[in-house]
Amino acid sequence: MLLEVRDLHVEFRTRDGVAKAVNGVSYGVDAGETLAVLGESGSGKSVTAQAVMGILDMPPGRITGGEVFFQGKDVLKLKEEERRRLRGYGMAMIFQDALSALNPVLSVGDQLGEMFVVHRRMSKKDARAKAVELMDRVRIPGAAERVRDYPHQFSGGMRQRIMIAMALALEPALIIADEPTTALDVTVQAQVMDLLAELQREYHMGLILITHDLGVVADVADRIAVMYAGKIVESAPVHDIYKSPAHPYTRGLLDSIPRLDQKGQELYAIKGLPPNLMNIPPGCAFHPRCPMAQDVCRTDVPPLYEVSEERGSACHFWRECLHG
Amino acid sequence: MPEQPYEPDRAIAGTGAGGAMDLAASEAQTLEKTPGGPEGTGPQAKPRSLWSDAWRDLRRNPVFLVSALVILFLVFISLWPSAIASGSPLKCDLSKAQDGPGPGAPFGYDGQGCNVYTRTVYGARTSVTVGVCATLGVALLGSVLGGLAGFFGGVWDSLLSRTTDIFFAIPVVLGGLVLLSVVTSNTVWPVIGFMVLLGWPQISRIARGSVITARQNDYVQAARALGASNSRILLRHIAPNAVAPVIVVATIALGTYIALEATLSYLGVGLKPPSVSWGIDISAASPYIRNAPHALLWPSGALAVTVLAFIMLGDAVRDALDPKLR
Repeated sequence: MLLEVRDLHVEFRTRDGVAKAVNGVSYGVDAGETLAVLGESGSGKSVTAQAVMGILDMPPGRITGGEVFFQGKDVLKLKEEERRRLRGYGMAMIFQDALSALNPVLSVGDQLGEMFVVHRRMSKKDARAKAVELMDRVRIPGAAERVRDYPHQFSGGMRQRIMIAMALALEPALIIADEPTTALDVTVQAQVMDLLAELQREYHMGLILITHDLGVVADVADRIAVMYAGKIVESAPVHDIYKSPAHPYTRGLLDSIPRLDQKGQELYAIKGLPPNLMNIPPGCAFHPRCPMAQDVCRTDVPPLYEVSEERGSACHFWRECLHG
Repeated sequence: MPEQPYEPDRAIAGTGAGGAMDLAASEAQTLEKTPGGPEGTGPQAKPRSLWSDAWRDLRRNPVFLVSALVILFLVFISLWPSAIASGSPLKCDLSKAQDGPGPGAPFGYDGQGCNVYTRTVYGARTSVTVGVCATLGVALLGSVLGGLAGFFGGVWDSLLSRTTDIFFAIPVVLGGLVLLSVVTSNTVWPVIGFMVLLGWPQISRIARGSVITARQNDYVQAARALGASNSRILLRHIAPNAVAPVIVVATIALGTYIALEATLSYLGVGLKPPSVSWGIDISAASPYIRNAPHALLWPSGALAVTVLAFIMLGDAVRDALDPKLR
């Protein structure tokens, strides 16, 4: 395994109380594999990624338990300086909104080149040449001229390509993409996603794709981990999930995708709201919104049941869900 | 802006190698540069930086050019006042007191019969020295302390915030009267030291605030996620984005420091005669505004023009440092 997260717990201490953002998440990614982490806002998917990257704001954030193995080493035990060297080189991150994730006062060439100046101690001139090369790789037309432009002079799709180029610069083993296409137009989304998938294949990287958009996932992901209230509720190969979900929450997500053959009908929506992380319901956190909830769901926390060798579901009634 | 023809064919051709035309084509339209955009320089051109871009902008800004010329002139006469004013500012002739303009004295004479022109020229040195040194000291001390407190937060931040509160509680004029009255040296340095001592909390508060704002930007987290160190994040990503308010406030403060030197000299705790300063001259001339307005007008005018020049310069620099305004 390239990356293995084991039983990770993260909480935020705020004035109003302790928000339990991540409550025992475990997942893994192999080199060349794409794991999609799916969930609503506040499900803990981004916080998990930040903890893996080591860019969680602490305080208020706190990792209260668990291990993160990257290439066999527990990175949570590394010194800050060692972790910093791992970032960019070993693992890199792509952010949702490239306009705000790029420094407005530096030209894109400076920002791309910085990767080489910092990590490879290249001269400014060589770094600039590498920046042009990277911009060509992510197919920015006229890279040699545009390398001097500032982020706000690019279109949204082009900016996200630059973000991808920055993450790819040092050819890291793992890339975490946090909603990389959410801020883009639908047509551009597909292009950026295709580019990301293609580059991943080429470099044989592990890719963690954080998203709330099931449509983005289907084409590119190998496995899906569905998160709810800081836990993984279902983890399965992508085709299994689309064929038949083993958790009512996953089913709800799939049913709320608009479909052409149901034109004119009211769109399904999961009733209720995601739980308050300061006050997560006892038992299964999803039970107040679950159409299949029974008494046992209100009291007993469901473990991740083994549905098949590659598949797990944290639902007491996964069999009913799978076959219903 | 020098026009350089934009060649769309060449721009697109760059991607041909990857065989990716189809993917990029739909976005290519959005890429066409507006005529106002930065010129497409060749690949051999030197890498540009924020500061070189800002300089390129400034050179074309008339506000900057005018204020820079005024400031250069002020600096010049501060260094070599004798180049444009003959005679000593201390050579006074009571028989000419309050006289109007005459040969060798285009601005007339003040109440002591001193040459107003000569004194105004020689007074620039004091004002420019006080203004520039006090501002540099305040800006340096304030932005380093405030910036570090804002970046690292926690105990240091609380400590600094409470310290600034204490300094804010000291009234400037009263503090000046108390602290400077015990100083016997009749040079600008105690005055500058006093201004730095009382002035840094203002800048540190602004620096702290803008560093905290800049620190929360996504690009700071992105830089961290790509392995940038604290010092690099602070110097390359936060400082350029946080420096604009400090520059603006510092240039405005520069004007107030020049005015404060005049105030302190007026109260008799700043510079004292025989030092030459606009403040001393303004305070000496103000009782005779009806009889000899010229003796008040010229040093006051010089003070106003100097302050204005620095404020305009600060404004122009701020605009040039913001690439979004290009």
